[in-house]
Amino acid sequence: MGSFPDNGVPGSPVDGPAPAAPPGLGARFKRDLGIGLKSGLQTFWVLARVMIPAYGATLILERLGVIEWLARAARPLMALLGLPGDAAVPLIVGYVLNIYAAVGSMQALGLSSRQITVLAIAILIGHNLLVEGAVLHKAGMNGFSFGALRIVAGLVAAAVANLLMGLVR
Amino acid sequence: MAELLRTFVTGSFDLLLRVFLIVVPIMVVLELFEGTRPFRAVVRAWARVVRHVGLDERSAAPTLIGFLFGLAYGGGIIVRDVRRHDLGRRQVFIMSTFLSMVHAIAEDSLVFIALGASIFWVVVYRIVWAALVTLALGAVAAMVVRRFRR
Repeated sequence: MGSFPDNGVPGSPVDGPAPAAPPGLGARFKRDLGIGLKSGLQTFWVLARVMIPAYGATLILERLGVIEWLARAARPLMALLGLPGDAAVPLIVGYVLNIYAAVGSMQALGLSSRQITVLAIAILIGHNLLVEGAVLHKAGMNGFSFGALRIVAGLVAAAVANLLMGLVR
Repeated sequence: MAELLRTFVTGSFDLLLRVFLIVVPIMVVLELFEGTRPFRAVVRAWARVVRHVGLDERSAAPTLIGFLFGLAYGGGIIVRDVRRHDLGRRQVFIMSTFLSMVHAIAEDSLVFIALGASIFWVVVYRIVWAALVTLALGAVAAMVVRRFRR
C-alpha cells in the first residue's frame, strides 16, 4: 500500500474506512478478496461453533421422543387455527428441526390448501429454533426469547390469516 | 446410539458444507462489491424501505442478506458488522426481530408453495406481518429503555 498523508493513521486496520485515494484496481481486488476470504472463514467458524452443538441437541430431543410429546400437548391448540390435531406434528417438527422435515410430515396429513397455507405461515415464522436461536445468541440477542417470540407471533399470524381467509370466502 | 452418532456426523457435515458454500462466497462478493456504485444503490434503495421499521443505512446490508438468503447467513453478517461498525443494540434488536419473522424469502416460501400454499399469504402477508411486529416491538423496546434510564 502507498502512503496517504491525508489518511493520518499509519498502519490503520485494513477493514477500517476505505482510504481517500484508492490503490490500483488489481491491488484493491486482491486486498478485498483477501479480506472477504478471511471474514468469510471467520463467520463460517462462528456459525459452525454455535450450529453444530444446537444440531446435536436437536437430534437428541428427537431421539428422546420430545417431539411426539410436545405434539400431543399442542393438539388442542390446532383447533384455533382451523387445523386437525395431527397438524401439531409438522408444527413441532418444524420448531425443533427445520422446514424440510416439517413439509415431509405434512404430506401425509391430507390437508386442504387453506389449511396448508395457515400451517405454512406458522412454520415459516417459527422453525429450526435451536440452530437459528444459537445464531441470534451469537449476535448478542437472547435466543430463548426470540424462539418464544417466533412461536407466539407465528401462531397469532396463522390464526389471523385463517380468520381473514374465512371472511373473504 | 451408533446410528444417532452417524446421523450427527453426516448431518453436521452437510450443515457445515452448506454454510461454508454460502457464507464464504457471500462474504467475498460483499467485500469486493461493497464499495461499488451498483451495490450501494441497491443497499440505499433497500435502506429507504427498511427505514420505516427503524433500521438505519448500516443495518440495511445485513438485513437484505438475511431477508434473501436466511437467518443464519444474515446473522453471520450481523455478527461481523456489530464488530466492524459498532452497530448499536437497538439496531441489532430490530434486525433480529424483522429477520425472525421473515428470512430466506425465496427458498423457504417456495418449499411451501410447492406443497400448495398460497403465494399471497406466504409471501406478501408474511412481510406485512413482519413489518408490523417489528414496528410494535421496536416501540415497546424504546419505551422500556426510556423507563429504565430514568
